[in-house]
Amino acid sequence: MNDAETMIEVVDLHKHFKDLHVLRGISTTVKQSEVVAVMGPSGSGKSTFLRCLNRLEEPSSGHIYIEGVDILAPYIDINRVRTEIGMVFQSFNLFPHLTAIENIKLAPMSVRKLSDKEAVDRGMALLEKVDLAEKADTYPEQLSGGQQQRVAIARALAMQPQIMFFDEPTSALDPEMIGEVLDVMRNMAKEGMTMMVVSHEMGFIKEAADRILFLVDGEVVEDGTPDHIFNRTTHERTLEFLSKII
Amino acid sequence: MADPASNKNGTARLADLKAKAGYVPVIRRNGFVYAFLSLLVLYAIFLLPAKGSPETLDLGRIILFCLLLLVWAILIFTDELKPEKMKTVIVFTIFIIAAWLYYRYSTARWGEMGFLFFNLEMIQKAWPTLVEGFWTTLLLAVCAAIMSTIIGLLLAIFRSFENRVLNFFIIAYVDFFRAMPIIVLMMLIYYALPFMGIRLSAIVSGILALGLNSSAYVSEIFRAGFLSVKKGQIEAANALGLNPIQTMRYVILPQAFRVVIPPLVGNYVASAKDTALASSISIIELLKAGLSQKSLLANPSPLIFVTALYLIMFVPLTRFSGYLEKRMKASQRQVRL
Ligand SMILES: Nc1ncnc2c1ncn2[C@@H]1O[C@H](COP(=O)(O)OP(=O)(O)O)[C@@H](O)[C@H]1O
Ligand SMILES: [Mg+2]
Repeated sequence: MNDAETMIEVVDLHKHFKDLHVLRGISTTVKQSEVVAVMGPSGSGKSTFLRCLNRLEEPSSGHIYIEGVDILAPYIDINRVRTEIGMVFQSFNLFPHLTAIENIKLAPMSVRKLSDKEAVDRGMALLEKVDLAEKADTYPEQLSGGQQQRVAIARALAMQPQIMFFDEPTSALDPEMIGEVLDVMRNMAKEGMTMMVVSHEMGFIKEAADRILFLVDGEVVEDGTPDHIFNRTTHERTLEFLSKII
Repeated sequence: MADPASNKNGTARLADLKAKAGYVPVIRRNGFVYAFLSLLVLYAIFLLPAKGSPETLDLGRIILFCLLLLVWAILIFTDELKPEKMKTVIVFTIFIIAAWLYYRYSTARWGEMGFLFFNLEMIQKAWPTLVEGFWTTLLLAVCAAIMSTIIGLLLAIFRSFENRVLNFFIIAYVDFFRAMPIIVLMMLIYYALPFMGIRLSAIVSGILALGLNSSAYVSEIFRAGFLSVKKGQIEAANALGLNPIQTMRYVILPQAFRVVIPPLVGNYVASAKDTALASSISIIELLKAGLSQKSLLANPSPLIFVTALYLIMFVPLTRFSGYLEKRMKASQRQVRL
């Protein structure tokens, strides 16, 4: 894996919310096609970490390189960087005034300047991929949670990003819908997408993740393979956390 | 009597509840009370001067009469054991009695009503002026609406940047124009600004005053609309690489507009009604046209006609904005479910 291209490099990342020191010096590297799961107790800074990487939150200090580009440099057009990173949220955040296909084609048309036909073609192919082609003209409020999240994934993929971030993509779903979303993510992982996934879905992580970053109080306390973290860790906080979620 | 607990009859259960709450309906249902009050009312009527007598209605008698009616009405209406139909009949009876008394004892010249108030000939004479006044009113309303929408929207957008200095000025602007009576603003612009070298025509002054006032409200309406768009929506748009302008145009505005339209229409209607104030700075809009023709023809018919016209214009509009509001509330409920 060492010869693979480095997609994300984070160096000593800090984030403060006023007096709250949320991220305390995170450094890590994510290589092309790597799937990194981010785990840790609630409030440990997982979401903040991901959101700093596409600057939905402004990092307080540190360096972030996406495909070698220093995205904290003052001359950077952050919107260009963001087109390279797809993001999927816990609460889906589909645009309620647009149908599924309109949700998907909005960014390709407005940002990438694709024609309507190109965008629709691309969007339909993606809906096909998440198995929702027949719901193209449906508004989000008429879709189930699992369907909404799959549309949200298709929407992110429509920008043809190099990297995908998932922030607890299945936490807001009823149990019977979690599988359909994880299936889509599993396929993406197989196709070689570089992914960072905040999730506590053990089955998915064991199967799809190459690495687990274990965050506690804004620090990476462990960084290893799923096998290592789940079976051989001796770290006290990790064991404590794992005992709670299994 | 049946066991109250097992009685499914609504009235009986109501009575049961009232008994528990210490409600005593006996006195209210006592026929003597009504008879006594009715007599008092009749007495008050006979106290009134006879028709044609030089004596006119004096305030004391009117107040006494109204008070008696009020007590009588309250007693009847708070008696929940009386059927609705009976209450309705009583209300109409009271109205008819009052109208009859007014007709009989007021100094109005009833025989000349048609000539005075609904004189088609007079309206015909006033017609050209009234039509012109109508167009002026429309011009004022439409221009003020356009102006307030543009300014209000821009202010709301600037406000959403959450820049402290900018916000200070915007809040000051909104406070100033919401606090300032429109008529004062009109006079300031039309009569005071010329001393500062700014000479505006009456109509421009009127539009400016109405538009500035309305823009303060419109900016607050749009701001509420923007705030109603969830933070996650903006984040999703940003994460897709949409720049702030694209986010505003494709994500925030379309969602905000849905929320904003009912209060916005309501605001336009209110602002359109305020056009009548423009008569104070010599603009011949609908009201002024009616007034001037009333003086010219020495007949109030044009004024009555103008009143009717206002009603014809604004009853449907207020209805419409009420309907929009109701529909939005219904759709919100649907989304939340
Ligand atoms: N916008 C914010 N303002 C202030 N505090 C925040 C904000 N976002 C997150 N936090 C705080 O930062 C900490 C980490 O939050 P988060 O990254 O959401 O944790 P996680 O996703 O691991 O549950 C929490 O204590 C949270 O309260
Ligand atoms: Mg989180």
